[in-house]
Amino acid sequence: MEQLLAFSKGPLFRLTFAVMVLGLARVLILDLLEIFRAYYRAGDKTVPWGQVITRSIEWLVPVRLVFKRRPVYSLFSMLFHVGLLLVPIFLYAHVQLWRDDLGFGIPTLPYAWAYGLTVLTIFAAAALIIGRILNRTSSFLSRKQDYLWPIVLLIPFVTGFVCAHMGVSASAYRFFMLMHVLSAELIFVLIPFTKIAHCVLMPLSQVVANVAWKFPPETDDKVCTTLNKKGAPV
Amino acid sequence: MVQMNRVQAVKTVLWSILGLTAAVGLTRFIFGLGATTNLSDATPWGLWIGFDVLSGVALAAGGFVITALFYVMRREEFHDFVKPAVLTAFLGYIAVVVGLLFDLGLPWNIWHMIIFWNPHSPLFEVGWCVMLYTTVLLLEFSPVPLEEFSRYAKIRTFLMKFRFPLILLGIMLSTLHQSSLGSLFLIMPFKLHPLWYSNILPVQFFVSAVALGFMMVIFESLVSHWLYIKDSETERIAKLGFIAAWVLFVYFLLRIGDIAFSGELGMIFTGTWEANLFIVEMLISVILPFIIFVVPRLRYNRKLQWVGSIMVVFGMVFNRINVGGLTMIRATGDIYLPSWMEIIVSMGVVSGAVLVFMFAIEKFHIWEERPRHPESNPYAPAAFDRSSGAWLGSPLLAASTRYSLAFVFAFAVGFALIPDNKIHSEGMDDIPVTRARGADTLFVDGNLNNFGVAFDHKKHEELTREGQACATCHHMNIPLDKNSGCWECHKKMFTVTDVFNHDWHASAGGAAIACDECHTPGQQRRAESAKNCEDCHRDLRVENTPIEVKAYLAPSYTDALHDICVACHLKKAVELADKPDLGLCPTCHGGETPENRRELYKYGQAARSLKPVVLPQVKKPE
Repeated sequence: MEQLLAFSKGPLFRLTFAVMVLGLARVLILDLLEIFRAYYRAGDKTVPWGQVITRSIEWLVPVRLVFKRRPVYSLFSMLFHVGLLLVPIFLYAHVQLWRDDLGFGIPTLPYAWAYGLTVLTIFAAAALIIGRILNRTSSFLSRKQDYLWPIVLLIPFVTGFVCAHMGVSASAYRFFMLMHVLSAELIFVLIPFTKIAHCVLMPLSQVVANVAWKFPPETDDKVCTTLNKKGAPV
Repeated sequence: MVQMNRVQAVKTVLWSILGLTAAVGLTRFIFGLGATTNLSDATPWGLWIGFDVLSGVALAAGGFVITALFYVMRREEFHDFVKPAVLTAFLGYIAVVVGLLFDLGLPWNIWHMIIFWNPHSPLFEVGWCVMLYTTVLLLEFSPVPLEEFSRYAKIRTFLMKFRFPLILLGIMLSTLHQSSLGSLFLIMPFKLHPLWYSNILPVQFFVSAVALGFMMVIFESLVSHWLYIKDSETERIAKLGFIAAWVLFVYFLLRIGDIAFSGELGMIFTGTWEANLFIVEMLISVILPFIIFVVPRLRYNRKLQWVGSIMVVFGMVFNRINVGGLTMIRATGDIYLPSWMEIIVSMGVVSGAVLVFMFAIEKFHIWEERPRHPESNPYAPAAFDRSSGAWLGSPLLAASTRYSLAFVFAFAVGFALIPDNKIHSEGMDDIPVTRARGADTLFVDGNLNNFGVAFDHKKHEELTREGQACATCHHMNIPLDKNSGCWECHKKMFTVTDVFNHDWHASAGGAAIACDECHTPGQQRRAESAKNCEDCHRDLRVENTPIEVKAYLAPSYTDALHDICVACHLKKAVELADKPDLGLCPTCHGGETPENRRELYKYGQAARSLKPVVLPQVKKPE
């Protein structure tokens, strides 16, 4: 187990982390390219930039839009996101690993905050799964990965909590640490290829919605010609 | 997945190699040559010089030989070869410059040669020629891409006016530096094997570059026509091959004639590995291709054209690698094998050049007829991802999706393969220390290189019987021990050892102590919130020792011993009037140490009496 742990903390971590960072950069660039191509082709080149920006912000801080419909679910979703982002990035133990490797680090969360946020994230994720199952509309819309993702994201949180805050024996610590590292690496690899890519694509989604549905200038005529109704009003 | 054609398959492979190269390149520029190459002081020039620079320049010779043939000698039938050859040469020189940037220790100083002139150095001439010729090639080639943009028509016509002078300048510059790459090796007659060393190395380099230039044009034409599924120009290739064959013959005469002239012809058949290497090199680079391209029946055979051109290309690269280092092994005694990272970078530089070449072939007017392939074909069916059924976009987007994916995964694999110990080292290898041998007299030679100090333990024991004598050197004990030696804590020769082994204490196979047994529960687990070593191990510190241990980071073996020995010796040299030499290095270091040997060579005999000890600069713990 020691060697497996060393391997997953060393080469496997570098592999998966590189896949995540470059993979996200890749989908972002490909998305931008396709937006440019669609914009270049479009007959109507007006894009309501003001609306794009306000709607993006409204979805990013869903006070107005989402809270109207399902306030409890939205609240848990926001709490979940806060913990999900803050804890892994600003945790003292994680920053210390960067510091050992790179020689510099970033400010860290106080011990009590890390403790509280971890517990909060775990409960929020559980609440999200229950909310998804109980609400008929959302369970109708959900795919398998929508149920799986909160569970997969929970594994490193639970195992990390056990390692950091519970006085377990040395051998149990190794086991939980291995699970913690491996599950986190699984998440790294999956992020760029699943819906979690919204962590970088989210700012573009409103632009895509506005640009991608524009058609090339002569589309109307072509459609009519194909339907043998040349000259018909569209 | 859509069906991949030949071009896409090749591009996917090339992008993967580029991904690996990006990961290795990042390591090279952040952690330096030591972390990525197997180069040493005895072999400072490795694969990156032998292949990327020496061979790269020679492989790019196609540009000047074809322009000479077409513009100067007016051989109109070779018109179709000119644009690809100039492009190959241009990309080849860019590849040389990129390869050189990888190999230079301080690549950001490459501009120094423009301002700080050293006219005595052949490398100065090579540097300037490469710089000027790359510029000339850029000007020679730029009319081709400019053709695509009508608004740059004026610049294009302006450049076309100067085409002929540019081409002459290009031929002249090539002649100069192709030969002076050979001149570089004139200064090492005792390092280079006699079968490769010659007074006319510059001439041999030039003639072989001409032959290789022709063959590279043939090879490039065959490969690109195979890739884009076009009929190749067998007839014209045979004609070009015929010319190249006779240049090869001249090269053969120059090589063999020079060896015969110096009376060492017999050396070829002595059966040593160098002699066999010479025979193999001559066979694949000269003799067999000469036969293929001289005999008319063989010359027009398409398969043999492949074989012949590949032989020359590989044979001449082999020759440059032989001259660049392989045949120096006997003289230097340093066996150098390039690390996988050096090989990847060399492949990556070539891959990048090939990708740009393919891009240019597809986008610009380099061939009479532009190649057709699915990416540019407007009627190609849209691509769908087989696993998810998602639309991958237009064929162009689908292709870039695939290439970028190959790049990302290759980068990740390369990043994972980089050895941990190389990037975490402080530029100095961890050399483990072995215990001193002997009893009354100890031979202190931690790294077992046979340069050590004979330490009279018994005499020191007697001389300093009173007071804190023993406790000065034996100031700490490892747990359960009463009399630990220096090597038990100061475990590394030149680097610091962390005496506290956290992983062993926390491991189920070691002490199996749970976190909370040392760290205070409910607090951030760090060194400050943990117990001290002495809370459990009560026998670590020796009583009445004058040495104060603040942290459990033991200085390097050399530092630890020097600190204690030298401090006392200097004090005693002042106290004892009859022992003025006690504080000098030769008192202990009788012989030469590897560290001071280099200094001795530098200052000659005068330094020999001083016997200086050069200590490596290492970071001391706080």
